[in-house]
Amino acid sequence: MSNDLKSGDAINTLPELLAHALAMETEAAERYGELADQMETHRKAAVAAIFRRLEKAEQEHLDDLTERCSKFDLPHYAPWDYHWSHSESPEAIDITKVHYHLSVRGAVLLALEHERKATAFYAGVAQAAADAEVRTLALHFADEERQHIGWLEACLAGCGPADDTALDDPDPPLSQE
Amino acid sequence: MEAVAKKKYAAKDYKSDLKPIWCPGCGDYTVLNSITRALAELALPPEQVAVVSGIGCSSRIPAYTSVYGFHGVHGRALPVATGLKLARPDLTVLVTGGDGDGFSIGGNHFLHACRRNVDLTYIVMDNQVYGMTKGQASPTTAPDWEGSKLTPEGTGINPFQPLVVGLASGANFIARVSSSDPINMAKIIVEAIRHPGFSLVQVLSPCVTFRPEQAEWRDIVRTAVVDYTDDAARAARRLMTDDGFNVGKVLFKGSRPPFRPEFENSNGSVAELEARFAL
Repeated sequence: MSNDLKSGDAINTLPELLAHALAMETEAAERYGELADQMETHRKAAVAAIFRRLEKAEQEHLDDLTERCSKFDLPHYAPWDYHWSHSESPEAIDITKVHYHLSVRGAVLLALEHERKATAFYAGVAQAAADAEVRTLALHFADEERQHIGWLEACLAGCGPADDTALDDPDPPLSQE
Repeated sequence: MEAVAKKKYAAKDYKSDLKPIWCPGCGDYTVLNSITRALAELALPPEQVAVVSGIGCSSRIPAYTSVYGFHGVHGRALPVATGLKLARPDLTVLVTGGDGDGFSIGGNHFLHACRRNVDLTYIVMDNQVYGMTKGQASPTTAPDWEGSKLTPEGTGINPFQPLVVGLASGANFIARVSSSDPINMAKIIVEAIRHPGFSLVQVLSPCVTFRPEQAEWRDIVRTAVVDYTDDAARAARRLMTDDGFNVGKVLFKGSRPPFRPEFENSNGSVAELEARFAL
């Protein structure tokens, strides 16, 4: 598993780690909420429920994290200065990778991919950190992400063959005649 | 990274409570997020920003933001924004829209907005199709696209080249970005807003419903290898040999001063304005 930390970068202090965690959990909660809204708008209730559940879980993390961060002066990062290995933070699903055809199974797989990236990010920080406090907290955050992975893996195990039928579009878009 | 400077605004502070109704997977979601990230990074108070649009899927953006907004008529976003900026130069004015709105119905306004060089940032979500009206060829559609029953054998017409035309018409800042790279898009929008004069940002923003093949764009686009130039002739040569998929960098930054009419001794009243135009 790659650590999803930008190559050559390191997060060495607690405020740096907390700033990254705050950005990642904020984006994750907002992104899951956006995806749930999209799916509800397109009458995809079962897929929306997956994203809504994850939004709630991320919001709980975020609330705890915000409380923890209140004791620190966090550095400011421009969105492009975070040490993510990709464009956005590892836990935020790429919004252009969803579709109204998305099945429950597809949503779970997509979420799993990003929860694993988030776990790998924190694990990578712990591995690279020289500071013991940073290492301990990063490992704690990685464990929190693993709880989401566990829940999603249970969801995946419960997905039946019917969850893939979303690809059959009973009302496909028609070009105007 | 700057030392210990708390953010004044978060990206979500610039979003309204209205939920977007774009198709899931539409690139316009990314553009909305990049705009709000850019505004947060610039720490612009929402009441000092306005977003103006015309008609089309992407022109719905003003409704999804918490800043001042004007959802205008088809193709007329640029004249509305021009008037707003001239009347209220203190506002940061963004213009959002699509390729049909901006380059067909609003094509003439586009030319003159570039020429006039008022301090605006024009973000065009280019998906090479009219999406809201269910998938007709737009000015930037390739001549052999056969996806619409209105043009079953393609349009047979060379596509409009917005950046070439924008440059030739006098745009002071030109960039192309991909909706698959939202963070870099936010960075370039910040640069576009900061650069004085008319800034044109073309966003390759796939239409997942009527141009599903555009999902391949994420694999086709490449980061432009050269940095921006301030030499319009050099920028033109680059653009004329460009295949449309070099993204992620500013292509041109000009130094032409923005158009700012001076209203010396003006008290800003409507009565005074009427008097100026009285026959």
